[in-house]
Amino acid sequence: MSGWAILGQAVLALVGGGIVGLLYRGLDRKIAARMQARLGPPLRQPFLDLGKLLAKETVIPKTAVAWVFSAMPFVAAIASFTALLYLPWGPFGPILEGHGDALLVLYLLAVPALAMALGGFASGSPLGVVGAQRELVMLVSYEFPLAVVLVALAWRLSTLGIAPAFSLGQMARYPLWGVVGPLGLIGLVVLLVSLLVVTPAELAKIPFDIPEAETEIAGGLFVEYSGTYLALFYLADAVRTVVMAGLVVALFVPYGIAQPLGLAGAAAQAVDLLFWLAKVFGVMAAAVTTVRVGMARLKVDQIARGFWWRVTAVALSGLLLLALDKVVSG
Amino acid sequence: MRAEEVLRALTASLGAQLRSYELRPREVGVRRKWTVEEVWAEVEREALPKAVAALKALGPLHISVISGHDAGETIELLYHLAVGFGTEGGEVVVTLRTFLPKSDPTAPSLCAVLPGAEITEREKIEFLGVDFLGIPRRDHVFLPDGFPVHPWRRDEPELARFLHRMVEWEKGHERKEPQG
Amino acid sequence: MSARNPKDNDPVLPAVEERVVERELVGAEAALGETFAVPIGPIHPALKEPIRLTFRVRGERIVGVDIRTGFAHRGIEFMGMRQGRNLIQILYLAERICGICSVSHPIAFTQAVERAAGIEVPPRAQYIRVIISELERIHSHLLWAGVAAHELGFDTLLHLTWRVREKVLDVLEELSGNRIDYAIPIFGGVRRDIAPEQYPKVWEAIRYYRGLLEQLLDAFLRDPTVEARTRGVGVLEPKEAEELCAVGPTARASGLRKDVRQDRPYLAYPDFQVRAITPEDYGLTPVGDVYDKIVVRLLEVEQSLNIIEQALENMPEGEITSFPKIPALLAYLKKAEGEGLGWHEAPRGEVIHYVRLAAGEESLLVWKVKAPTYSNLLSWYPMFEDQEIADIPIIAASIDPCICCMDRVYLVRGGKEEVWPKEKLLKLSWEKTRRMQR
Repeated sequence: MSGWAILGQAVLALVGGGIVGLLYRGLDRKIAARMQARLGPPLRQPFLDLGKLLAKETVIPKTAVAWVFSAMPFVAAIASFTALLYLPWGPFGPILEGHGDALLVLYLLAVPALAMALGGFASGSPLGVVGAQRELVMLVSYEFPLAVVLVALAWRLSTLGIAPAFSLGQMARYPLWGVVGPLGLIGLVVLLVSLLVVTPAELAKIPFDIPEAETEIAGGLFVEYSGTYLALFYLADAVRTVVMAGLVVALFVPYGIAQPLGLAGAAAQAVDLLFWLAKVFGVMAAAVTTVRVGMARLKVDQIARGFWWRVTAVALSGLLLLALDKVVSG
Repeated sequence: MRAEEVLRALTASLGAQLRSYELRPREVGVRRKWTVEEVWAEVEREALPKAVAALKALGPLHISVISGHDAGETIELLYHLAVGFGTEGGEVVVTLRTFLPKSDPTAPSLCAVLPGAEITEREKIEFLGVDFLGIPRRDHVFLPDGFPVHPWRRDEPELARFLHRMVEWEKGHERKEPQG
Repeated sequence: MSARNPKDNDPVLPAVEERVVERELVGAEAALGETFAVPIGPIHPALKEPIRLTFRVRGERIVGVDIRTGFAHRGIEFMGMRQGRNLIQILYLAERICGICSVSHPIAFTQAVERAAGIEVPPRAQYIRVIISELERIHSHLLWAGVAAHELGFDTLLHLTWRVREKVLDVLEELSGNRIDYAIPIFGGVRRDIAPEQYPKVWEAIRYYRGLLEQLLDAFLRDPTVEARTRGVGVLEPKEAEELCAVGPTARASGLRKDVRQDRPYLAYPDFQVRAITPEDYGLTPVGDVYDKIVVRLLEVEQSLNIIEQALENMPEGEITSFPKIPALLAYLKKAEGEGLGWHEAPRGEVIHYVRLAAGEESLLVWKVKAPTYSNLLSWYPMFEDQEIADIPIIAASIDPCICCMDRVYLVRGGKEEVWPKEKLLKLSWEKTRRMQR
């Protein structure tokens, strides 16, 4: 592929990812509102919010470490958007395939969290500091199960002789559901469940929204952020939602519907892209929207304990089942 | 709990320090009549902790609030207590009245006997300029620290002037607000 | 801050202002130490009213708390005692001490004045006061339950409970004309009768809540995340509750059977044989944590339903006030002399008013108001001890604080922006009342 083609695709992916992210945020809010018997905001509300934030003055507190405070929103936004380039978009493989694998996506997902934590520490507000501490505890808690899921899938893929096994494009091209035996199927389901539990934690949504925790620490990390900087965090959050849901789709449900429908060419690609968007939406609705409507916020020690023992144990047992399946069925 | 028991306990522990007392029963209820008993007693200020301790020995004790009044030469404090909650109509309302001379407006604090009295005692410090000996915290509850007047005193020369200043300040503040 | 200092060298005001600035600095510097200060309030999303809680924390653990109140001090007692208002005008003030328990203060206040002046209240008026105050208890407890859910980050439950709460507000509007500030009690009786055609609407609301109560209990008490956040959190030991003179559901959740309606009944309450509710009535051993406070409040909704039912069934006939004419009432009150106490079990606990009338004076000589939060403030200290930052909002909310109720007093500002919205709101409320009357 020529450099210009890649550049064009990248621009499309970045802009499209931003728009989809904001649109899905709107859908998320609307659905949550209907579940709570409210009318909810219009679908374009996130766009309006973003525009409003961009138009507002950006305040840097006197007590803040100014350069860290101002740099972190950009780091978060850039990392989230970069992750879009490593994500398989339905029928299209990752744009930068071969230049980075699933582990890079993992890091790119962790960078915004770290950036937010640093921004919180640098903001000079006690509430920001508390939020930052919580964000770090969360990061440590959910990264391990997430890594276990990825490693388990990549390992099983490598046993099939597919290389490079850690490439997200390859993972999406060769789903494991048809390959493994019954034990492996159970293992895959277990891994999927643990990934779905990790999703709201990764995105810091209720019950895991403790770094922001509006009623406790008044927005925590973001308490001192305003204007453009807050807009960047907002955008980064919306894009991360797409990336995380896209990751779940790529790992577990990468199937298209164009082939069964007998479509080919551009039509097939268009249908598959729409179907992929629908799948991403489905994952978001299941793992983020319904969960955040149906639960209270947990406490940091409850989350840390829950993740360290329970979710990690669940993810490891999935890995174990997958390995057993390999041993039993050969 | 009956009012007579309360009175007996008070007279036994206070003796002559119980200056006077009065019973004011009140009839309540429409179809099922009930009498709630109220004891109003005047005691010397030194005897307050002793009186409260005696009441506490009778049963679970609750302090509602301390009312205060600037009566000219003296400051009048009324301790509204209730003894014996937990059973139907079992509570006797006891009001202990005491007078503090303006020259020495102090009273012993009840906090050692009844920790729940703290807030209401602190309120009296800021509103009436009374001092309670032995109170654990003296911070203001409602008014800003260093508030220059005691609003419930009737002899505050500063009060009228101060209120006037506050009104002026509010007006000036409101005019400035659009710029700030 | 400095811009707020008015013209210059007034010796009085700057002193007050500077103190506030100094307090801010202490918090910021302390953040660098091993423990640091987390200020909550006076403006904070978890607080619906202004209060300042400064927590000293180590990591997520609270090691100390400093409570500052007084941000909404309006000087209501002072206005009542010293600014030449007559008693009817003061009744309006009393009504506006609190927006949530807006019938509790008038009930206690009218009782105190009636006691001081020796006024009898007709039986029917007593029943109407009871009905309105129990309806208010339902609305207040549901309001609290919603707020508590919101503090836990469970907004769905907030929306659910507040939707359910609308029904009782509709009934109150039907009976009094207002959603809050019902203006029902007056010295010697009540201002509005409950007409026969209004009974069915009250009955309908009772049936509505009876049907929903089980669902509400289920949603609050058997939800695993709510349980995880409230069990063992903000514990108030029975011993502490008794020593610190906690009142209302805060004391009852710790297992104290302390309820003014039971301990020293007033008005028509002996008729209903009210019993104080503790978690034991739900088959739990009282711990005094937030969970128990939810239990007590939800059970009290049911208790209030029972009381309203009995009151409606046994409603006595007759006059609703012993002074149908206001001038006669005022003239009588002007001549009256004496002192009296009036109390009431507000949704949050004991409200008590002390008044003293002087003969020949229209105004009050002495007026002391005690709101429930005033008594419960001290119980915050043991409740916050060794808890986590995450628990602050729900613990703070668990006593159902009514800060403005407690603060009462200072200068009331002229409502400059209120002109058109007020009229519009008034119109809207008239329209709704008309709609409901149809």
